[in-house]
Formats: sequence, structure tokens, C-alpha cells
Amino acid sequence: MSSDRPPVRLTRRLQAALFLRSLSLQGSWNPERMQNLGLLWCVLPWLSRQKRNVNLDRLFCRRYFGYFNTNPYLANFLIGGLVRLEEDLAADDPAGRERIGTFRDSLGRALASLGDQLFWLGLRPTLVMAICLAGLLGQVTVVLTLVGIFAAGQLLLRWFSLRQGYDLGMDIVDLLFDTRWHAWILRAKRAGMVLTGMVAGLYLAQVADSGVVDEHGLLWLGTLLGMGLPVILRKRLPGEILILVALVLAVLLTFAI
Amino acid sequence: MSGLVPLALVSGTDLPSLAIIGLLAGLLALDDTALAQTWFGQPLPAAVLTGYLCGDPWTGLALGLPLQLVLAGNLPVGQTFTGDPASATVAAVAGTLAWGHGLFPVMAEDPDATWQLLGWVILGAGLLSLLGHPLIQTERRFNGLLMLQGHRSLRDGRLDRIDRLHLRCLVTSFARGFLSGILFVLFMLLAWNPLFQHLPVFIRNALGTLPLLLPGLGVGTMVDRYGLRSCWPWVTSGLIGTFLAVRYVF
Repeated sequence: MSSDRPPVRLTRRLQAALFLRSLSLQGSWNPERMQNLGLLWCVLPWLSRQKRNVNLDRLFCRRYFGYFNTNPYLANFLIGGLVRLEEDLAADDPAGRERIGTFRDSLGRALASLGDQLFWLGLRPTLVMAICLAGLLGQVTVVLTLVGIFAAGQLLLRWFSLRQGYDLGMDIVDLLFDTRWHAWILRAKRAGMVLTGMVAGLYLAQVADSGVVDEHGLLWLGTLLGMGLPVILRKRLPGEILILVALVLAVLLTFAI
Repeated sequence: MSGLVPLALVSGTDLPSLAIIGLLAGLLALDDTALAQTWFGQPLPAAVLTGYLCGDPWTGLALGLPLQLVLAGNLPVGQTFTGDPASATVAAVAGTLAWGHGLFPVMAEDPDATWQLLGWVILGAGLLSLLGHPLIQTERRFNGLLMLQGHRSLRDGRLDRIDRLHLRCLVTSFARGFLSGILFVLFMLLAWNPLFQHLPVFIRNALGTLPLLLPGLGVGTMVDRYGLRSCWPWVTSGLIGTFLAVRYVF
């Protein structure tokens, strides 16, 4: 059955089609199976370059319709690898079908864990604090430029990781064991910590130098209470709830005077 | 201050202006989770972009900065809450500028009143973002229903159905952002901002303090996220170094 389909190499055109679709991997995110429909949609350009065979198309869809979730920024390592394994399967590799499922699930989980650490807990707070620092300095253009640089960087990563995933195939697992990932995560987090301190320092300096009337030390008290409150509460409240907490704090401080 | 030339495409609440704001909100809603995830949908860049479109990027900066700091801890790891800060921020900036008020206290004729209005608008943006949570959850459940329709392709092998279903999900995300952007702008313009004039004085005074408390809460949230024990040397060195540099060097 598999030998009906001659292998297709990852041409620049196919890579472009896969890349563009991979940008909306989460477009059909749903609570039941998360990115399953998105992943299937991403790899369809490979299938559409094959000779049509309804039975094989059905099996292809079935392979990708189960639960799937990973980090969107690192997903292209996996998508490239999946295309490579699909080619192996098309070239009549009998073990390929089972291998694809195992590869997808295990690599998806590993990339999700790495991506959470690197992007959500490392780079995102770092970028947020960097743009806040630029904002506190009144550099509006820098705010947009920094976000633009991140956007360009992550798009380049997605483009090249697609090719790398395809070239490495199953060997992509070796890439995950590279210790440089963890070094980058640590660096990103430390940069975020320093930038958080810089934002706090710049803000306190601006409060000290500002013309805001603070006869009763209200602002200093509020700022220090604000900084201490999340650490003391340890509830990880959403920011929207923190605004309401800040409102209560502001009313209490206003009454206290 | 850097010179960003305001585009001023949006002048009020005429249909073309609302359409432009809706378009921006729709694109940022897509960017938030569904497409590309460039982080332009974060509150500060979204507010600056909206301000730029409306001809006053400084109002975007004044509103976006405290919002960005207080929402910095909203990370998609270890929490189930998903607000809609992108649409809320776009609507807050556009709705306030269409109301005829800037929010940049440094440039304002009456800084105290501007701080108070800024606090009121931030509160409105926060509530609208909270309102976005059930909308996003509904959209995701709808995606789930569409996804289940894809089971038919497992039987008949039709690939065009998968294309269609996924694209419908993307259109739904855009439509949610577009519509909520427009409705939120109208809410800010017609209901929330006019209410400000009727607030008691002590509430106004408290609102004037609100924007100044949020950066502290944002920093505290990040310290909690990183873990106080592991981050304090790095945060403290950044804080002391910057404070001393700003006070005594620059």
C-alpha cells in the first residue's frame, strides 16, 4: 500500500507552504484535543503533493487526529521530522506508521516542556520587561522595534527548525539533549530578572524625582506594598484581578490620609 | 522622547474609524494565540499601535505601560485564565481618544485629573479583559465542535474539509477580536468614560493613585514567578544599579 507513493523531497516551495501553515498551528486549538486539527492542517501540503489515494488519505488523517499539544515556537522541529517520517513510510518502511505516532507524542511533550521554559518563562518576561524599560524612558519606537526584533527572530527560528527537523528525522532527539538549551533558558531567565530589577529601579527613581505630590509618603508606601503583596500572597492572581486588588489598596491608602 | 509620527487614521466613531480599530483588534486577537504569536498583542505594543493609529501614541504609552506591567505575570503556563487584554487595550485607547481626552499626564494641562482618568480607563480595560475570558472559552468550545466534524474525513478521506474547518476557526478568532474591539470601544466611549464625571471625589483620588501602584504589583508578580530565593540577587542588582545610575549619574 505504501509503495503507491513515491517520496517527495522537502523543496523550498513545500518548506514555504509548511512554514506558513505552521504559523497557525494553534488556530483551531480546542479543549478536547488541543492542536490536533492544526497539526493535521500543517502537514497537508506534503500529502497534497502525493498521488491521491482515498484509503491512504484516510489513514493519514487518522494518524494526526488524536490529542496533540506542543510549544508553537519549537513545533517546526517536529513538523519537519514528521514530514521526513511520512516520506520514509511512503518509501515502504513497514515500521513507519507506529514510529510516527510515538515520535509525534514523545517529541511533542519534550518540545512543549522546553518551549515553556525558554519562551513563556524565559524570553517572554525578558521582552516584556525590556519594552517596559523602554516605555518608562519614553522610547515609543524602541518598544515596537524590540517586539519586531523578537517577531523576526522567532519566524527565522521556525523557518530553519523546519529544515533541521526534516534533515535530522528521528535524530532530532539528539538535539533535545543538547545542554545549550538549558544554558539559553538560564540566560533568558537571568536577563529577565535583571531587567525586572532595572524596571523597579527606574520606576522608583522616577517616583523620587517626579512632581507628583506625595506629602504623606503614600506613593512610596503603595509601591512597596504592591511589590511585596504578590510575594506574600503567592496566589499567582491574573493581572486583571491584581488591578482590582490595586484599586482596593488605592482606596484604603486614600482613606488612611 | 523618540519621534513616532502619528498616523491618525482614526478620528472618532464614524464607521471607517470603527472598522480600522476593529481590524486592528481582530488581527491582534489572531496574533494572541491563533496566528504567528509575535507578541504585538501584548498590552504595551497594542496600546502604542492603537495610539499611533489614532494620532496619539503617548496616550497608548501611558495606558499600555501600567497594564503591561500588571499583566506581566499572565503566562500560559500553570494557569487556566485567559483574559483578552489585546481587544481591551485597543478599545480603551481608541475609546478614550475618540472621547476627546489624552492620557499622558506629563503633557496634560491638568495632570491630577489626567492621572485619575488614566486610573479609570485602566480599570475599564481590566474589566473588559476579564469579560474576554468567557468569550475566548466559548470560541475554543466552538473550535472543538468544528474539530469533531473533521471525523468525517477519517471515513471519506476528504482533505478539503480539514482545510475548511481550520480556516473557519481562524475566521472565528478574527471575528471575535473584530466584534469585541468595536463593542468595547463603544462601551468605553458611551458608557464607561462619561461615568467618570459622576464619580465621588475620594474615588477619583484613589483612581489617581491606581496607575502608580500597578508597576509595583507587576514587579512583585514577576519576583514571585521567578521565585524570590533564586532571583533576588539579580533583581536587587538591577534595581540598585539602575536607581543609583538614574539619581546620581544621568
